[in-house]
Amino acid sequence: MRALQIFLSTVAFGAMSVNVSAAAPDLSGVWVLSAQVGALKTVDGKAPPLTPEAQAVYAAHKAAIAKGDFSFDGVTHCLPPGLPRLMLMHEPFEILQRPKALYFVYQLNRLPRRVYLDEALPTDVDPHYLGYSVGKWDGDELVVDTNGFDDSTMVDNAGLPHSDAMHLTERFQLSKDGMHLHLLMTIEDPKTFTQPWTARTDYTKRPGYEIPEEVCAATPVTKRPRS
Amino acid sequence: MRNLNPVSLAIAGLALAAAAMAAPQPTTLHNSGDPTLALTPGLRGAANAPPGTPPGNPDPHDLNGVWWLAGYQYMLGPEPGVEPPLKPEYMAILERRIRAKNRGTPEADASTQCLPHGMPRVMESPYPIEIVQTPERITFLHEVAHNLRRIWLNRDHPKNVAHTYLGDSVGHWEGDTLVVDTIGLNDKTFIDDEGSSHSNQEHVIERFRKIDNGSNLELVMTVEDPVTLEHPYSYRRVYHWRPDVRPQEYVCEENNRNAPVDGVTVAK
Repeated sequence: MRALQIFLSTVAFGAMSVNVSAAAPDLSGVWVLSAQVGALKTVDGKAPPLTPEAQAVYAAHKAAIAKGDFSFDGVTHCLPPGLPRLMLMHEPFEILQRPKALYFVYQLNRLPRRVYLDEALPTDVDPHYLGYSVGKWDGDELVVDTNGFDDSTMVDNAGLPHSDAMHLTERFQLSKDGMHLHLLMTIEDPKTFTQPWTARTDYTKRPGYEIPEEVCAATPVTKRPRS
Repeated sequence: MRNLNPVSLAIAGLALAAAAMAAPQPTTLHNSGDPTLALTPGLRGAANAPPGTPPGNPDPHDLNGVWWLAGYQYMLGPEPGVEPPLKPEYMAILERRIRAKNRGTPEADASTQCLPHGMPRVMESPYPIEIVQTPERITFLHEVAHNLRRIWLNRDHPKNVAHTYLGDSVGHWEGDTLVVDTIGLNDKTFIDDEGSSHSNQEHVIERFRKIDNGSNLELVMTVEDPVTLEHPYSYRRVYHWRPDVRPQEYVCEENNRNAPVDGVTVAK
């Protein structure tokens, strides 16, 4: 995997051209969900279109949560929440914006996420909790494509499953006043959903907020985030 | 594992032998002659970037990019193989920890519990470090256990600084040298892998400077601790510019067999 990524990044260096439009919005800063998100719904407010098999898995997760059994959920063991769930946690995150990459750094257990700009999505990546993300500016929107997911994580905080075939497309748009970030996330996962679906979340800027050092392994189990 | 091969171990052994001849007398752990106090040999660390890699950015004030430590020491004293100038009671604790390690029953430390590595230890890792520079901030994204350091260029330490694993870091430029001052470190970590102690009064000063036209980054580390150290000491390290490397997802917690349950660490 290391060899592959070194190869990929070397190729990328060769292929990299003009990648920063002078007009690219500045997403830098600390952001927090404008409203808490429980079970993620489609933009129309509907339940995600689960396949019957995935519906059974989801029902099992919900039944476990109802019994206070979170053992299926790696977040309670300090594992990364995966995506898009990491974007649905109530802890703030910050965006560090550079010409060739954006870095999302989450308060939650200090997790980093890298979005490499103007590169092709690798077709054969090892699974990672947070996948592999590439992005590009489409007008004033940042479009991030991610694949290469591990199938042990959840889509949301309510136990919605996904498979290793998930392809996530996120479109980030900054509000005119720069104080809000709107995110449309489209989930394609034919092993889990009967069709692609899109959800929306919004974030509010937290100027001046310094993200504290949050260490999951030092946090008692009962005080960790959970479904 | 990366680059931890027998050749590097052999090279590290030679370096230790050379250091032994040059080391001040009397007594350091490495020349104690006591096998129960045997130190873990250093590692070669990362190689230079391969041929064809874009050259380093010579701009002395632009530290952006991936850097990888050349050489890796388990004990972080003033010289390789020489222990920090610990006060006698903390020297005794270090010897206890080294003996425990050599018995195959090492004492628990922060890194084995997926906690941040503390200072200066986190800067001594056989994994790459990505530096991200933004206005008024320099961020260190360490691959190892996703350690994260924020260095604030626009403010001083808070008056009542909280004690954390990696402390509160502020930086400023002195010419072409970035000077980083860190306090507010809790006492739950060690100075180094062997188990040298520091207190929550530890004060760490780092001086970063690009050398070799941007292909290397020099760090001169100074460690002060009025509780555990007889006097401050310094050592020098070099990190290679590695734009061909992308830091990987590192999930210590995946195999965490000593997770604290409601604040109590239990072996599983």
